[in-house]
Amino acid sequence: MSIDRFETLKVGRHGVTRRECLVRSAGAAAAAGLVTWHDVLSAFGQQLKKQGKSFVLLWMAGGPSQFETFDPKPDSPNGGGTKAISTAVPGVRIAEGWDNMASVLGDVALIRSMTNREGSHPRATYQLHTGYLPSGSVKHPALGCALAKEVADLEADLPPAVSIGTSRLTVGAGFLGVAYEPFRVASPGRLPDNTAVPTTPDRARRRLGLLQQLEQEFAARGGRPLVENHRQLYDRASRLMLSPKMRVFQLDDEPQGLRDAYGDSTFGRGCLLARRLVEAGVPYIEVISGGWDTHDNNFERTATLAQQVDPAAATLLKDLKQRGLLEKTVVVWMGEFGRTPRVNPRSGRDHYPRAFSAWIAGGGLRGGLVVGRTSPNGTSVEDRPVTPADLFCTICHAMGVDPRIENLSPLGRPMKIVDGGEPIAELLGSGSTATASS
Amino acid sequence: MITRLSSEAAGVYRRRPQARPRPAGWMFWGVAAMAALAAFAPYVKAAAPQEVAAQVDAAIEGELKAAGLKPAPLCPDEDYLRRVTFDIAGRPPSPQELLLFLVDPSEDKRSRVVEELLGTEDYALNWARYWRDVLLSHATNERAPAARDAFVDWMARKLRENRPWDEIATELITATGEVREDGATMLIFAQQAEPAEVAAEVARVFLGIQIQCANCHDHPTDSWTRRQFHQLAAFFPRITLRRDPDNPGNFVVASFNMQRRRFPFAQNPERVLIFLDRNRDGKLSKQEVERTPLGRLFDRVLQLGDKDGDGQLSLQELKTLPRPQNNQPGRGALEHYMPDLQHPEQEGTLMTPVFFLDTSVRLRTGTDDLTRRRAVAKAITSPRNEWFAKAFVNRMWAAFTGQGFYVPIDDIGPERTPQHPQALEILAQEFTRSGYDIQWLIRTITATRAYQRQARSPDPSASVGMAAVTPARLRADQIYSALVNVFGLPSGGFPRRRPGARPGRPRSPRDGFSLLFGIDPSTPPEDVMGTIPQALFMMNSPLVNGAIRAFARVRLPQMVREARTRTDVIRDLYLLVLNREPTDRELEIITAYVRQSENRLEAFEDVLWALINSTEFISKR
Repeated sequence: MSIDRFETLKVGRHGVTRRECLVRSAGAAAAAGLVTWHDVLSAFGQQLKKQGKSFVLLWMAGGPSQFETFDPKPDSPNGGGTKAISTAVPGVRIAEGWDNMASVLGDVALIRSMTNREGSHPRATYQLHTGYLPSGSVKHPALGCALAKEVADLEADLPPAVSIGTSRLTVGAGFLGVAYEPFRVASPGRLPDNTAVPTTPDRARRRLGLLQQLEQEFAARGGRPLVENHRQLYDRASRLMLSPKMRVFQLDDEPQGLRDAYGDSTFGRGCLLARRLVEAGVPYIEVISGGWDTHDNNFERTATLAQQVDPAAATLLKDLKQRGLLEKTVVVWMGEFGRTPRVNPRSGRDHYPRAFSAWIAGGGLRGGLVVGRTSPNGTSVEDRPVTPADLFCTICHAMGVDPRIENLSPLGRPMKIVDGGEPIAELLGSGSTATASS
Repeated sequence: MITRLSSEAAGVYRRRPQARPRPAGWMFWGVAAMAALAAFAPYVKAAAPQEVAAQVDAAIEGELKAAGLKPAPLCPDEDYLRRVTFDIAGRPPSPQELLLFLVDPSEDKRSRVVEELLGTEDYALNWARYWRDVLLSHATNERAPAARDAFVDWMARKLRENRPWDEIATELITATGEVREDGATMLIFAQQAEPAEVAAEVARVFLGIQIQCANCHDHPTDSWTRRQFHQLAAFFPRITLRRDPDNPGNFVVASFNMQRRRFPFAQNPERVLIFLDRNRDGKLSKQEVERTPLGRLFDRVLQLGDKDGDGQLSLQELKTLPRPQNNQPGRGALEHYMPDLQHPEQEGTLMTPVFFLDTSVRLRTGTDDLTRRRAVAKAITSPRNEWFAKAFVNRMWAAFTGQGFYVPIDDIGPERTPQHPQALEILAQEFTRSGYDIQWLIRTITATRAYQRQARSPDPSASVGMAAVTPARLRADQIYSALVNVFGLPSGGFPRRRPGARPGRPRSPRDGFSLLFGIDPSTPPEDVMGTIPQALFMMNSPLVNGAIRAFARVRLPQMVREARTRTDVIRDLYLLVLNREPTDRELEIITAYVRQSENRLEAFEDVLWALINSTEFISKR
């Protein structure tokens, strides 16, 4: 709880006390001088920088074990017998079963010193998506949605945020509203829910035309604002469903070899779809892999999941790089927390937010290096702790978005995209350097 | 317990529920006089709804006149019936109900239909779902939907029996039990039994006061202080929320009253070391403690306290074990501490429970959980606390007319200025006098001319509102019921697709629909925006389109056969979908559309599609 208080406090210290806690509307807020603080010139500069950027979040729902993924401890009893393999980066070893990732590690910055305090799935999932702890009075936007708001072209046919795969816990656009709410695709490779027109496109257009004509009566009977809102919504929805760009959701025109490389799994198809969406200019794509909550049978279950995630993630990085898209695409792999060093009696590992791993690649960040170090038994961070806020600031940096840009919550309170934290300095600066610092 | 002695036009007499058994600590409340008063006044007389409605209208119309605004005329019967049926029963009127109502010549038909609707199961379900959405929309616990069904069952029972609002509020605040069995636990479950969150939600829902802004700093615009907020939270620290050991996935809200410490051995580290340090190296290893009570906890204690990471605990490490944290969600604590903002890792300041609106309501630290919660419930629902009645009246008025006296409806309180304060005052006083009788309030609101006026879009230039009813988006369950109504399916909804799905997940199409179309009922109507997936669902979903297609195959040909003219078919479709007659202009548009098409049935199917997808279908007019 104390984190919660602390985080909100920081907002307070930066001057909320001057401000109305409950402003009725953005208009009133602007009138009270609450517009975001950065001036027009710097906004313009940012606009140029962030064109065409995308953020792909590979979300390991449930909390992946760092020991069986990117921070193996073969010499410690806590290692659970998981072996380490060498990678493209000399001196850096990751867990067995991640051979494809090992081969592309030169483009990846491995963070082994993620540290946090939230050990419950719902709260940590919320926090690792939004940067904030849950609160009853405000639903924060996921970082990707907030970034999409800065980057997206609202005239585009495709939605600015897409979430692929399913999870019990999902985090969306929060108070940013429907325009940035992730469009959810449960089964990649098929058209998303309810976008297949049940009649011919011609008849669909005729129906829409009839609808527009019939709307006038209710508009005249006092419903004009509702009718206008409805019309905009139907415009955007019908533009999406009738758009030739809907092809992007179908994967059958991809070469078989490439589809095989991504893997015949929901996550594999999700990563392939993610690449197509990046190409199509979608700013935020989340691909969810579920089942990482390995309280029992950790080793078998993690190995099975790795068989899907390893080829898919590695192929995504290679594919993006080959197409020259990796420079402007930030790819992050993480879950809501790590897992306990101690193996429990059911061969499982439990929730452990204190020291866990994540990785980030692309977006002009440095690759081929390791940030931070855990103790030999994996129980604590020994060097260079990285908080979720630090990681989020790094993502913002790579997307060319100022993390301190403020959005107004419905209660009129300004909320920074990321509150606190600093970008990871070691990753800034261009290009990938194959210097290991393991 | 409540007996309605008479519901004549002259007035409704009802007996107040008997006072609950008084908890031991009640003498400390400092409200003894009040409690005694309430106990000796078992009969309360409520004024007749028609009389109060007339007073409310006089107040509103007086202000409108002063502002130079002319109120809209009363709406036609077809609009009234649709409005009142949606508002009370959460569904549209059927074509039969509509036609019968239109031909009924009696003068009191508008109030009679209210009486009839209040007696239906639809009324209880509609408002139970409304309150479910109110509470779930602000849940901080993502598992909260697991309690959906239990809550709706519980709340519908309360509404069916017309239990008074103070009783419902008290039960929500003082609930204990299994969340999937005992629906009253949902408010606390949804806030994870975390004292500050529970306090904020209780203040928001029952008082309409957003005191949680004072959580971290004194309220920026109101005079509430951090201290007052945390004194309110101090009524709730002893609630616990634990997994049900016998039933994984279920949770139990209970009281935490035992003096329990997380690491009892930490109180005397020297002794512990002498007893357990068998090899006398000044450190405890796992081996040494294996068969002691500490053994089971050792790994956890190591994680917390092993500063040098050697896998053992030294005397120094034992001494500096972190203290248990306060106010952990659901863990329960003996007392509430206001965190020190400069040093959030420290314990903070011990808070005694004090009710911010009536500081004579205070308890000592050490008071047990239920005494605390009953005390705060009693203070909140006290007739002396005007905000309890005002918050409810304001919310119901807004839900019925589309406009609150205060906007947003859950941000009211002594430091806000309402519109039409006199009308609100009358309604709140009479609602209190009625013994917080929810159905009395509904009868009164629906009897006002203010409720029965024609709909108009809000006039931004008007200095004061309520010259007309504001059209608003229907809630998810109302839209779903409208679909069910059109397609002639049983009111339980479309057939289940996945029987036995996991609790908390949508189990029926109605639940799935309510997830997709759900809105926070506390949102001002003008802030309710639709979503793209909602539009796609109405346009293309197999559920809606399958129903449209089936309708086109079975009922449309029937309608076409039975109708004498094309106009009759169109008229029937309008009565069914929009619950009104089409206008001449609409008849023209549709006639032209049908005439142009090669396939007449297909054309009528398109008309049905367009009506289902119209703004009016998902709006209250």
